[in-house]
This record gives sequence, structure tokens and C-alpha cells, in this order.
Amino acid sequence: MESFTKAGLLVFAMTASSAMAAGVTDKDLLNDQKTPGDVLTYGMGLKAQRYSDIDMLNKDTVKELRPVWAFSLGGEKQRGQESQPMIKDGVMYVTGSYSRVYAIDAHTGDEIWQYDARLPDGIMPCCDVINRGVAMYDDLVIFGTLDAKLVALDAKTGKVRWKKKVEDYKGGYSITAAPIVVKGKVITGVSGGEFGIVGKVRAYDAKTGALVWERPTVEGHMGYMWKDGKKVETGISGGAPGKTWPADLWQSGGAAPWLGGTYDPDTDLLFFGTGNPAPWNSHMRPGDNLFSSSRLAIDPDDGKIVWHFQTTPHDGWDYDGVNELIAFDYKDKGKKVQAAATADRNGFFYVLDRTNGKFIRGFPFVDKISWASGLDENGRPIFVPSNRPGNPTDSAAGKQGNTVVAAPSFLGGKNWMPMAYSQKTGLFYVPSNEWEMDIWNEPTAYKRGAAYLGAGFTIKTINEDYVGVLRAIDPKTGKIVWEYQNYAPLWGGVLTTAGGLVFTGNPEGYLLAFDDKTGELLYKFNTGSGIVGSPVTWTMDGEQYVSVLSGWGGAVPLWGGDVAKRVKNFNQGGTVWTFKLPKQ
Amino acid sequence: MHKLFLQVLAALLMSLAFSFFASSRSYDDIVDSGVLKVALYRDFPPFSYMQNGQAKGLDVELAKALAEGMQTRLEILWATPGENTGDDLRQYLWKGSNLHTTDGTRVKADVMLRIPYDKAYAQQRDDTGRLAHELVHMFGPYHQERWQLAFNPKKIEDVPTMAVFQYHPIGVEIDSAPQFFLTTAFGGRLRNNTRSFADLPGAWDAMSKGEVDAVMGMLSQIQWLDSRDPGKGQLATRTYPLFGKQTWELGMAVKDDYRQLAYALEDIMLTALKDGRMAQWASDNGFEYRMPPRYEESR
Repeated sequence: MESFTKAGLLVFAMTASSAMAAGVTDKDLLNDQKTPGDVLTYGMGLKAQRYSDIDMLNKDTVKELRPVWAFSLGGEKQRGQESQPMIKDGVMYVTGSYSRVYAIDAHTGDEIWQYDARLPDGIMPCCDVINRGVAMYDDLVIFGTLDAKLVALDAKTGKVRWKKKVEDYKGGYSITAAPIVVKGKVITGVSGGEFGIVGKVRAYDAKTGALVWERPTVEGHMGYMWKDGKKVETGISGGAPGKTWPADLWQSGGAAPWLGGTYDPDTDLLFFGTGNPAPWNSHMRPGDNLFSSSRLAIDPDDGKIVWHFQTTPHDGWDYDGVNELIAFDYKDKGKKVQAAATADRNGFFYVLDRTNGKFIRGFPFVDKISWASGLDENGRPIFVPSNRPGNPTDSAAGKQGNTVVAAPSFLGGKNWMPMAYSQKTGLFYVPSNEWEMDIWNEPTAYKRGAAYLGAGFTIKTINEDYVGVLRAIDPKTGKIVWEYQNYAPLWGGVLTTAGGLVFTGNPEGYLLAFDDKTGELLYKFNTGSGIVGSPVTWTMDGEQYVSVLSGWGGAVPLWGGDVAKRVKNFNQGGTVWTFKLPKQ
Repeated sequence: MHKLFLQVLAALLMSLAFSFFASSRSYDDIVDSGVLKVALYRDFPPFSYMQNGQAKGLDVELAKALAEGMQTRLEILWATPGENTGDDLRQYLWKGSNLHTTDGTRVKADVMLRIPYDKAYAQQRDDTGRLAHELVHMFGPYHQERWQLAFNPKKIEDVPTMAVFQYHPIGVEIDSAPQFFLTTAFGGRLRNNTRSFADLPGAWDAMSKGEVDAVMGMLSQIQWLDSRDPGKGQLATRTYPLFGKQTWELGMAVKDDYRQLAYALEDIMLTALKDGRMAQWASDNGFEYRMPPRYEESR
């Protein structure tokens, strides 16, 4: 009888929700940040501010927060769960490691459907086997797979509606980021094995999967649009090849936009970050190597690059420039400034004019930066030449090259994990890490049956007590308002709310909530495995919910040295945890 | 990030995974199962590749001989190369991949071919001071390889030193030691004449078409390309010191706890090496066999 009732209720809930369920529209996506009852975009709004107006949970009530259900992703395969849940009509859509998608009843935690992408043998993805989430459009749930496909599932049934190969997985390509939907187009970048690849951003018709445009992220490559089935040239990225690259290295320049993008409706621009240039050794490619390690503003209609800002020209430290660029407004002498901010792998925080990409200000957001002594008036780094990893010719005759100690490490002052911007406090909440690396040319190396010159390196902690630091940063002054130190590296996303709270998780397994003004830790709950996902909040039946994935993994545990020691005892997992306040 | 990241990923995973993945197949398991699983690089002529639906190449022939010697059937696991050999050892030998299996089973080979036989490499330490490749046993060198230059004699008379490439374009494979050398040596003076291709056959084709005047790559591949497309390139008689190793040896690798398997495979390989089959396989595939020097006197 009990099970009958449960099943009955579930059916009722589902019918009720499907009766109300309307397809997600462009307008819904644009309004996502203002609609507390759903979470339709990665970043809780296309700008990805990760800020919610909901204030039922606040500094007074958060201590009463309780888990209401937990959902296991199951399976033999776990690894890092870096996903952000989406909520629509009482259903949660979440991705798991190994290209899995789940639809869950958000009231009960009951599974509605599960989709497991079948991955080909011979797949050797460049990166970890994580996934960061789905995009929602119409009645579709769209996500990228480890074999570099875009798959659109029916939101009700989980059945495949369309599937597109974005790149060939045999070249080491992969997709781990959540796609973004803007103006009816689903837009994605791609992760790539480094060699012979050229980063591209591509837009597909979200309803049909038809390719609409593609934009290479390396100078010299032609962009295209598809009009009435015809492929039309839309101009060469950067105008011409070879301006900032020697020889023909632009043909394989890397710059993979692997973390996806954000969108600003005010300027009608997409913002995508790009990865490091290839080959890895900077001495092979003197020049700025555009558009590697940059932020690109892209026209969503045709894929044209409107402006760019390069954080690490001539990158020699593997400081991927993929981190999210978040649009926000502030007042300067009474005048509204349309700005955007990003916290780069290279340790600097940048505030840009988002209408034209001009540098407004920049400052370090980590304690130690060795590779540059600062930024000039245009935001270009002032290099410390002695801190550039060595020239391969210095390892002539099989000798190991000089070791350079560079900070931050290539895992970055901040890695992929998204920061949050509070419209209430005007502060950014930045999950950062304090670490450095030894890096040298390693002549004892092989690649596919041939002698090779590798890069050797070790990641090292800087402080005994902590690696991770959650920092509240004032983008107008560069002032660090408060910080919270964490023993293990931080690797999860941040959420902030009008209730004056900042949520994040740590590898030790805790969901954490802080006072947004003081940094006081107000709440913590151990989810049983490390948190490397991004929390969300929404309302349902008049109550505020918080949800986060738990499941330790990502890049950090793949590492050696003293960082490994800090994390080696953390257990894997794969659980969606959902919380709310108890009913009065 | 991925490049640097993966460089050490393998080393670290090895130490982490030591206790977890200790089960691979023993000699007895393999004989009982009637199948020997051999990992070979995919699309890698003249060593291991598909032609008209048939697996071909020196390494394919050696794999067949190993299976025959074990009195088992051969199963080839085609390996997509990673960014360095450590990735391949992890992915195909000691850890295996479970990306494409539904139940999480890790697919791995019993033995992988064309793995460096180099004491310095085998003894390499990772950043925690442990042996970086401690989960595998590298043994049985069966081939010696080196870099080779080929040039278009219509364009270049002779190549006394690499300095010639200040004036002539040269093709190399992306992310190879020759590319590293040509783009950085002599203060970068050869950089602008260096053309990078996805693989060496692509570079050779460009030389055939007159787009580059020379190519540099592995000797066996150059000889194989020359045998298919004769007269397009002259093989230099000189060698040109790049940084790092000038010659190196390739052998086999098994999981470290399968020494009995390694002994058996080494015996089978040595028989083929000594009775001339190995040289025949090489010549059938368009290149001249270079025996590791250690076997010279015992021949």
C-alpha cells in the first residue's frame, strides 16, 4: 500500500508537472536569474554570476539547513562529480562522470530516467572523465560527451532526439563543459589533446542540431556560417595568419575553449576563454600566440570575434585562459560601468570593460605570483624573464634543463571552479589555491616509439596549513575583504544569495555556508565524499532548496608531491545532496 | 593545461593505483584462456597498421609470433597513443580503460610492443621519489631506431649541417623531437623554415609535391616512405645530433608482476630475431632491420 501510494504520488507529481511543463524558451533563459523556481542555465543566469535573489535561507536560518534527500549516481565508475544541477518543473537534471545524465524528481530524489552515453573503445580523452552539466532548451536536455559529441535528450523520457559529432575523439578531443544556449543556438567549445588541434567554438540549432557557425580560436583560421545549407566564410580569426605566431605553428596552435562560455544580454556578446597555446614549450613559438590564454567576446549570431583580451601572452607556464568571464555592473563616480571580471589561472584578477574588452584594472588574487611582477596600464603582464621555463636547446646532450620554480602552479591560482558575484555586496567570491611548481625540460622521455623531450614538474604547496583559499574580493579596489583557508585545494564552484550567504564545498566533503560580509563559517555538512561540483538554489512549494553534487575527483587527485598527501585519503563517491529548512 | 598535466599524471596514478589494479592475467591465465592480448599503436606504419582490412607491420608480425609461441590466438588491442609513453603504459597495460565498458571492467593488454628499452627511463623517479614506471616491466629490446634526414636532391645538393635549413623548408611531425630541435636550435634561425605536419607521411607527401625540401623523422618510417614513393627523397648519410637521444631501443612491456610471461615472450622474440624472421618482417614492410647492438656478438 505504501509503495502504491508513493508510486501514485510520483505519477501525480510527474503528470502535474508535465501538465504545466512548457518548453524552455530564450526568454526563460534570459530571465533565469530572476525566476527562483527553476535553474535553467549553467551559472544560474547566462551571465553566470551564480547569485540568487532568494533569501529564505539567511544568516539566521542557515544553521537549521537539513538534507531532504540524497541520490546516488550509482555504477562501478565514479571519479569527480563536477556538475551543476538544473531544475525545471520539479525535475532535476544532472550529469555524472563518464558522460551520464539523470532526471530526478526534485521533491523526492526518485530517479525518472538515466542516460549513459556509449563511449567507443579506442577513446583516450585528454583530460579527466568529468562532466559539468547540461543545457536546457525547449523540451530538450543537451550535453557534451567524452567522445566529443553533443547529445540532445528528450527531457521527459531521456531518449536521444539528436546527436552531433563536434570533433573526432580519435584526435584526443573531448567535451566536459556544460553547453550554453543563446538565441536558440546551443554553443560549445571542446577540450583537446594538444597536438595538431585548433580550438573552435561552434553553434548549433538547439532544436535540430544543425551547425550554424564555427569560430576558430587561433589566429589565421577561417570562420564559417551555414546559411540554407551553404557554408559561407565569415572572416579569418585575427585577420591573417602568422601575425603573432612564427612559421606555421598557428596551424596547430591549441587554444581550446574547453570550459564553455557565458553570455551578456546587455552587449549581446558571448564570452569564451581559451586554453594554452601549443606546443607547450614557449621557446618554440616566440610571439603573443593569439588567441591562446585569452577571453574572446563573440557575436552569438555569426560567431565573429568582437574583441579579445589576452591574460597570458606567449604562455610558457600552461596558464590556460579558460576561466569564466562574468558580466556585472558597478557605479564609478555615479556612472554605471558595464564591466566583466575573471580570475585567471595566472594569479591575476581582471576587470574589463565588457563593451570593448578594454582593461579597467587588475590585481593579484593569490599571495604568490612569480612569473610576472605586475600588470601594465593595458593589463599586459610584466614578465620576469628568469621565471620562464627553459629552452629545449638548453637540455642539449641529454641533460635535464634548469628547473624553474613558478607560482601559481599550472593548476592555477583558480582553476575551472566557478566564482560567484553578489549583487548584494558587490563582491566576487573566488575559490583559489596557493601552490607553485618546479618545471624543467625532461630529456628522458618517449612518445609513440620515439625519443622525445618531455616537461617534468612537481606541484608544491606553499603553506603548511592550507592550499585552498575562498576569497571575497572587491572588484572596484582589489581589496580582499575576507578569506577562508582550506587544508586541501578548493575545486568546487561557489554560489551566493540575497540571504547574505556564500555556499561552496571542499574536498574534505563539506558543504559550507559563509557570511557574505565577514566570511564567518555559518554551516557545514559532510556529504561523505569530496565536493568538486557547483551548488544551486531554487524554491519549490514555497521553500528554498539547495543542491550540490558530492564525489571527489577532478585533476587534483591525479597529482603527486605534497598536494597528493593532502588528498590521498579522500574517498570517491557520486551523490546528489538536496537540502532545505525543516517545516515550521 | 592538458599537456603538462598528463606528463606526470601517469607517474602519479601509478603510485596511487599500485594497490588497486594488481590483478592482470598471469602466464597460466593466458595459456588457459587461449588468447594473448597485445597492444599495438594504431595507424603506425611500418610497425602496426591496417591495409586492405589486414593488420600489417613488423610489430603485427612479432605479435603473431608471440601468440603462436604461446600456443594461443592473437587479439590485437589497437592503442591510440597518449601524449607520452607513460600514458600508454597506464591506459593499455597496468590500469586499462573502462570508458567504453558498461560494468566498469578495465580493458588491458597482456603485453605492449614498441616500448622503450632504456635503463634511464625504467629507473626514472616521479616527483614523490618513487619509480615512475614501477607498475610495468620493460624487457626484450627487439629494434633499434634513430632519427633520419631525407632531402629532395633536386632542391638541395647536400646537407653538411642542419644550418642548411636556414635556406630550405623542412617538414617534421608535430610534437616530435625534430620539431622541438628545429624550432629552437641555433637561436631559432631554422624556425621559419620548419613546417609541421600531423605525421611523417604528411611531411613526406609535401616533399613529394615540392612544398618542403627535406623531412626529418624516424629512420624506419623514412625508409618505408622511400620504398613506397621512391626517388622523391635522398636519405642523408650523415647523422645530425639533436638534443636528447640519437638512437634508442624498442622492446616489450608487461605488468610488473608477470615476469614468467616476460621470460616466455622474450624467448619467442629472440628466436625470431636470431633466425632472421625479424629482419624479413622489416624488409617485407619496406625498411631495413636494425638489431639492438647487444645481440651482435651472440649472432
